[in-house]
Amino acid sequence: MKYVISLALAMVFFIHSSKAQMPHDGIYMNKKLACGALIYSHSSWTNYWENRLFRENLNIGRLTTESMMAMVAYGITKKINAIAVFPYVQTNASQGNLMGQKGFQDLSFWLKAKAFSKQGISIHGAIGYSTPLSNYVPDFMPMSIGMGANSLITRGIITYDMAKHLYLNGSIAYQMRSQVKVDRDAYLHGGKLYQTNEVPVPDAFDAAFRFGYLKKDNQLELFAETFSCTKGDDIRRNDMPFLTNDMSMTTVGIYGKYQPKHLGVNAKVSYVVDGQNVGQSLNVSLGILYIIKL
Amino acid sequence: MKYLSICIFCISLISCSKEVDETLYKAYSPSKVDESGGTWKTFILASTTDVAISVPKLVTDAAYLKEIDSLKTIVIPGLTATQKKAVEFWGAGAVLRWNEIGRELAARYNIPPASNAAGIYPVPNAADPLADPKFPFANPPYTARALAYLSIAQYDALVAAWRFKFLYNRKAPFEIDATIKPLLPTTNVPAYPSEEVVVAQASYVILLAMFPGEGPFLKEKLTEAKNAVIWAAKNVGSDVEAGASLGAGVAANVMARAKTDGMSDANNQTIVPNLIARSTSLGFINPWKSQESPARPPMLPNYGAVSTINLDRKTLESIRPAIPYLENSSEFKKELAELQDIQKNQTREQAAIANYWADGQGSYTPPGHWHRYACDAGVAAKYSELRMARLLAYVGSALMDAGISCWETKYYYFSPRPQQFGLKTSVGLPNFPSYTSGHSTFSFAAATVLSSFFPENSTKFLNLAQEASDSRVYGMIHFRVDCTMGAKHGRLIGDYAVNRAQADGAQ
Repeated sequence: MKYVISLALAMVFFIHSSKAQMPHDGIYMNKKLACGALIYSHSSWTNYWENRLFRENLNIGRLTTESMMAMVAYGITKKINAIAVFPYVQTNASQGNLMGQKGFQDLSFWLKAKAFSKQGISIHGAIGYSTPLSNYVPDFMPMSIGMGANSLITRGIITYDMAKHLYLNGSIAYQMRSQVKVDRDAYLHGGKLYQTNEVPVPDAFDAAFRFGYLKKDNQLELFAETFSCTKGDDIRRNDMPFLTNDMSMTTVGIYGKYQPKHLGVNAKVSYVVDGQNVGQSLNVSLGILYIIKL
Repeated sequence: MKYLSICIFCISLISCSKEVDETLYKAYSPSKVDESGGTWKTFILASTTDVAISVPKLVTDAAYLKEIDSLKTIVIPGLTATQKKAVEFWGAGAVLRWNEIGRELAARYNIPPASNAAGIYPVPNAADPLADPKFPFANPPYTARALAYLSIAQYDALVAAWRFKFLYNRKAPFEIDATIKPLLPTTNVPAYPSEEVVVAQASYVILLAMFPGEGPFLKEKLTEAKNAVIWAAKNVGSDVEAGASLGAGVAANVMARAKTDGMSDANNQTIVPNLIARSTSLGFINPWKSQESPARPPMLPNYGAVSTINLDRKTLESIRPAIPYLENSSEFKKELAELQDIQKNQTREQAAIANYWADGQGSYTPPGHWHRYACDAGVAAKYSELRMARLLAYVGSALMDAGISCWETKYYYFSPRPQQFGLKTSVGLPNFPSYTSGHSTFSFAAATVLSSFFPENSTKFLNLAQEASDSRVYGMIHFRVDCTMGAKHGRLIGDYAVNRAQADGAQ
């Protein structure tokens, strides 16, 4: 925790920037304004869905994933923003003997643009690419810090600004995901044995609905998200999860941001209410934001 | 425009195709025919005269000519794309394909049972194989034995088939009628009985006994394998029938041995208190203890009593590795420190080696890994079905003997795992005593046999075995001595298979 705080401080003092603006929202940095954020996230579960079977695992106990993300958003124009995210992730199991993993996970880079805006309704498009920053082990699940795939994410966003600073936001995305190369040279996928080190990670959809309040740079939002792979297999009885699994989950949460001037903070709490081949995680994140004119 | 080009660049970074590249096995003409193969020494079949098939009809017989005619006028003109694909698949090699099927089943069944609400681990039930937990739990000892009997049945059946082939000398359809064009490379090995079907039927019997819940799956494979030789115009129906009859007869002999080899008593948990008592009396301060929660009974504590193939019980006991370092010794402390250092500073290369060889749950286990290497070596050498089966029978029996001897050692000492001294693992911890390392024993036994068959690749196989052995230290689940002593033990066990091979008449 100590290094998290010192890293956070270092980022705030030396990089100078910030304002929360995410690949899924309708908020833009003005031209030549940059927003830097340092976000600490803590996600953990004790129960998970083995296929559809909801269970605990006494040889894992509580699986915790912590991450520290440095994020930069930049206003190329008022209507086109670029966003980059660099996460460092570490995992830990409270029981059993599986060794925790840590390292730089996947760099993601986004371009977001406002395509249309009329009578409070605006439509946006975002495209993101993410790729592993380090050669982490993707198939030591659930301890792995990531899935190791390159992803290309295309997102459509529609927002509606209502009276009294209230807004609605709906978004939908398709995540194209590449094969990954694993250390092993054979694996099961759908009951068939594949004798190769190439593993196809299934593509996925996600969609979200948000309702919130936004005044200047202060924001409070309730949201529900759903994530689902387009195909894949299920975790077999008492087996470990694998990259080919058809994961799905529904998450609800609350997000808030307070940014009186250049310096701001944000926080998010979310909880997985239903899923398949995933853990029922509770996720909490806290961030420090800073806006700077370049 | 700039952004568009960035997008196109991004898309190009993600391959649109999700098809994975797998080793593609293709049909080939074998490098040797081995006319005298029918005289080679078998493993379990006492003599090839113990099995019989009916004398084939002459090629001038009306019944045979009718079979040829049906091949020409019905089968070949009516071939579908699916049938041609099946011909291509099975044409790569019957022994190879049935070995792959065995490995796939092993992987699918290699999951330890879950504990129930009462904290008990139910034992898989052969009479109800698809219930939870499924039968079998195809762990490394189970898989070593299943694949050994599979390969031995294939080999013994093919030796018998070779005898009948050259005894009756009935030619293949395309030799009888030049207008028949076979879809696969051919040899001048006589066609009766069909060697592919001998293998298919023998494999079916063994695999069904080992994986009793897979009847429909195996039946489908068997039917396709039998049809494929006719679709390929390599055989007629009577070649297939004789092959099936011979394969079944030999497999029944092999299963008679398998049923009485002691496997049914391998999970006898009542002997465990005595094993722990012996461990303590040998000086182990902390005998092995399950690190799972709830504590899981040790895997197959009496597997060491299963009958070995290439060595006898007296030999097995006489070559058992000596006692490992005890907890209070300086050597033990040094080896523990080595693991503690890896836990702190494991390199990505060490992790990769540990992962490559992990062969843990959901995999075909280390014996499966070595069967795969053996298959690839046999394919590279253009081995005939007979030669391929022979190679796998020796590799497979060495792996089975390695499993039995290693398990006998493990439960003789009942020594603790590194995790009993606070270590984590990057691969998963097996639920049985530490000394000696199964991976090391399996790998060196198999590599020793492969080295003898392919001396030019000896270094490669021994290096792979060394890597497999080291992988268990890199994964932090074995002390160094578990691996070095297991490796030595494995070489000795492999030698018994090599000695047997040198005296079977095939050299």
